[in-house]
Amino acid sequence: MSSIPTSGNSSLTLWQSLGRRSFGYWLIFPALFVILGLNLYPTIQGILTSFTNQSLIDPGHSVYVGLDNYLKLLKDPVFQVSLVHSLELTFFAVVLQVLLGLVMAHLLIQEVPGIHFFRSVAMITWVLPIIASVVMFRFMTLPNYGLINILLKDAGLGQVARNWFGDETYAFLLVLIMHLWRNVPFYSIAFMAAMQAIPADLYEAARIDGAGDWRQFWFITLPNLRYIILVMVVLHVTFTFNNFDFVYLSTGGGPVNATEVLPSYIYKQAWNGYALGYASAGGVIMLVILVVLVLICNKFIKGLSEQ
Amino acid sequence: MRRPFPTRSIVTYCGLSIFYLFLLLPIAWLVLSSFRNSDSVQSGRLLPSSSELTFRNYIETFQIGNFVTYVVNSFVIAFSVMVLTVFLGSLGAYALSRFALKGKRLFMMAALLPQFFPYVLVLIPFYVLMSSLNLVDTHVGLILTHTSLTLPFALWMLTGYFNAIPMELDQAALIDGCSRFGVLFRILYPVAIPGLVVAGFFAFVVSWGDYLFVSILSQSNATQTLPIGLQTFMTSLRVQWGLITAGTVVAIVPTVIFFSIVQRRLVSGLTAGAVKS
Repeated sequence: MSSIPTSGNSSLTLWQSLGRRSFGYWLIFPALFVILGLNLYPTIQGILTSFTNQSLIDPGHSVYVGLDNYLKLLKDPVFQVSLVHSLELTFFAVVLQVLLGLVMAHLLIQEVPGIHFFRSVAMITWVLPIIASVVMFRFMTLPNYGLINILLKDAGLGQVARNWFGDETYAFLLVLIMHLWRNVPFYSIAFMAAMQAIPADLYEAARIDGAGDWRQFWFITLPNLRYIILVMVVLHVTFTFNNFDFVYLSTGGGPVNATEVLPSYIYKQAWNGYALGYASAGGVIMLVILVVLVLICNKFIKGLSEQ
Repeated sequence: MRRPFPTRSIVTYCGLSIFYLFLLLPIAWLVLSSFRNSDSVQSGRLLPSSSELTFRNYIETFQIGNFVTYVVNSFVIAFSVMVLTVFLGSLGAYALSRFALKGKRLFMMAALLPQFFPYVLVLIPFYVLMSSLNLVDTHVGLILTHTSLTLPFALWMLTGYFNAIPMELDQAALIDGCSRFGVLFRILYPVAIPGLVVAGFFAFVVSWGDYLFVSILSQSNATQTLPIGLQTFMTSLRVQWGLITAGTVVAIVPTVIFFSIVQRRLVSGLTAGAVKS
């Protein structure tokens, strides 16, 4: 087996015993260094930047401006619109994902022939690059030869056909649908795994007591899914609220700011408008809102479990 | 167990059809269109005739300017991120699982915390930091960046995996003269393969799909990846959807193949920690 020479205890120098005691810290050091150095440090730096007028043109020279960026942001109409859109998108996406995820999970735990195929391909939408999903949805909704309009025309509903991403209402709806498309299967698989872990005798007992499907779902399934629902909700509130790619790549925030969300607006302020300090202030506001949202989710679902 | 009623099966299949039509139709339409010639794509007809099917889109896509460079960059970066994430993540997880460290809970929390930070905020000082290190527009810079995004999950998941492996295995190996690195590589690695594979897959997918960080930290063709390339195609090729769809299919094939290999383990890997604790 190993060819390591067994050095006698006598030769255990101070250096070696120190090394032995700190070995664990050396092991974790590189990972923590990368995570904290490249995430925690920039975030703290970003909070500091938000109080300056740093510009991309000359990032080395910036002046402390106090709360100026924040005051300006709160009066910025596009920022306000983006904030509302971000909150709407996060709320509707997560609520619909939980509901649809529960329905899909309920279908996937049925032991019907061929169910393994459905279970195995479910997560496919989640692993694809977001740019690929955006290309699919843009291509499907093209005005002249997109799949949606072809199907509508074939069904004799040609007057409904339109340039979907060019329409203010539908563009926002499409962004929401792309979020559902990507994430609902992930919920369903996570919920399914949790459902399978619920002991069957609980249902047996409920059935003997005369509980129907709905009551079984409400009083056995749902309470047992509390924890996984909380995990998925927190994960996806964060994902949706922070997500930049779907909006920026599909609509760029348009038409006329109809789909603008905080990440896309802040990105454009920083990298197209060169206003690093201003954009950082927007990012800090996002961070604060996100912390509040996560705390609310936590409280809400904990409260749900206690009743 | 009693057999399910046939009506119940029918309802199940109907429900599944609706979900899977919604999930798979966009992919099917993309793949089908990538094999149609441009007249056929623009014909406004649902199905092509057999004479309209062609491989030309793929051949032409690979001849467009920097497409091959994008593919190579994507592979180099995503593969490096995968290896680095699994290596550093397993070292850290080994420490958290097997060594008495002070502040272990603090380490775990500190590693998880950045998951909640808005990336658009992180990106700004990140860019300043990377340019002061001369890592803007380099592969190394992008690899480090992506690794910092994927490590927290790997660290958490692998710690869970290692915790589930009995300590007696390590002790037996140590008594036999195995070194402490030997324990990790010869004892824990073989048992934790499902976890390592899922952590690696996750890292690959995140790096392969990232647009946000690459769009800022990469400033020339030398380091740009497929998501940037596809975005450029979408805006510059305008109506040539045959080429755009073919390029997109090229971008999804590696993740689909990788996914089909790890799929069974992915589900248990992603949900294991969540369901258990």
